[in-house]
Amino acid sequence: MKINVVKRVLNANDLVAQDNRKKFKQAQVLAVNFISSPGSGKTTLLEKTIQKLLPDEKSIALVGDLQTTRDAERLAPGALQATQINTGMSCHLYANQVADALKTLPLAKADYLFIENVGNMVCPGEFDLGENLKVVLLSIPEGDDKVAKYPTIFRAADLVLITKIDLMGALSFDLKRIQDDLAKLNANVPLIQLSSLKGDGMVPWIQWLKAQRRKGIGAQAKFVTEE
Amino acid sequence: MHEMSIAQGMIEQIEKIAQDYDAIRVTKVEIETGILRQVIADVMQTAFQAVSEGTLAEGSLLELREVPALAECRKCKMSFEPEIDNFLCPQCHLADVKILQGDEIILKSMECDSKEKKETHEN
Ligand SMILES: Nc1nc2c(ncn2[C@@H]2O[C@H](COP(=O)(O)OP(=O)(O)OP(=O)(O)O)[C@@H](O)[C@H]2O)c(=O)[nH]1
Ligand SMILES: [Mg+2]
Ligand SMILES: [Zn+2]
Repeated sequence: MKINVVKRVLNANDLVAQDNRKKFKQAQVLAVNFISSPGSGKTTLLEKTIQKLLPDEKSIALVGDLQTTRDAERLAPGALQATQINTGMSCHLYANQVADALKTLPLAKADYLFIENVGNMVCPGEFDLGENLKVVLLSIPEGDDKVAKYPTIFRAADLVLITKIDLMGALSFDLKRIQDDLAKLNANVPLIQLSSLKGDGMVPWIQWLKAQRRKGIGAQAKFVTEE
Repeated sequence: MHEMSIAQGMIEQIEKIAQDYDAIRVTKVEIETGILRQVIADVMQTAFQAVSEGTLAEGSLLELREVPALAECRKCKMSFEPEIDNFLCPQCHLADVKILQGDEIILKSMECDSKEKKETHEN
């Protein structure tokens, strides 16, 4: 017997991600997935961001790393809760790891859930966690050819953050090249340049985030499997 | 290795459908993979073999066809085939698209042995 199916294959991960997204909506939390290479400044930016949002808005941080609980310890001071997920061999977070963490997170009390993915520009883009937005970071020392080298993640980005701009003078980095490459992939994606160290660019970043929270609750990140 | 995760989801769907049709064994599975998903055929075959073990689809043949990408410009509605690093509309020179095809994995058909007659036949 031949059965004609013609059905979209939902990978097991997507089903859990959809469920996570429902929970975020119920709790009126904006969930943001931070993706970048190792060391682009995700944790440093989150440390500053969580503090800047206080006292009006409260955040939960969920950090994926292969090893150590260092990043969660760094984020704990200002966060409602900071939880580390050690992924062991896996170079990205899975939706079910987020789902497990949600069981112990005070989601109802939070305004934002910041998920710091494992440092990697490829695999995290393939795995929907249920986030509402993807923020992709690219730091000045990484070089200005990275958008062209990792097009898929930049195409899926809701915001591109150029980080460590205090190093702009010391290294040759052509911002125009980044903008041109992005324009080929994702015409309307906003780009913000910032330095978590010096504080430049923090104002537009926080403004963007707050605006997203107002309009983005329940939204679906780009190109994820639709519900 | 996102193929493993895709294969897992696929097997769950396959088993459910097979049960709905009272099938006792799945012999062949036909899927289409969108090129933007960057599924590697060999890796997919291995992953499918691994996750189908002990299920109704154990030992079944996986037939895989790659589907090219198709994008539609949100501005002028023209559809075109994008490159993985270039989604610019040839008309507007703007990369603001809806993906029409090439970013999904479709379970097209399955062949099964049913309870009554154990032979396979097309319908
Ligand atoms: N100059 C400069 N250095 C920065 C800035 N932000 C972060 N750094 C430094 O960059 C290094 C890595 O920063 P992290 O915040 O740990 O980066 P990460 O992306 O969380 O790293 P992983 O979690 O390992 O992927 C640290 O030494 C930071 O002090 C910045 O704005 N300017
Ligand atoms: Mg970190
Ligand atoms: Zn157009």
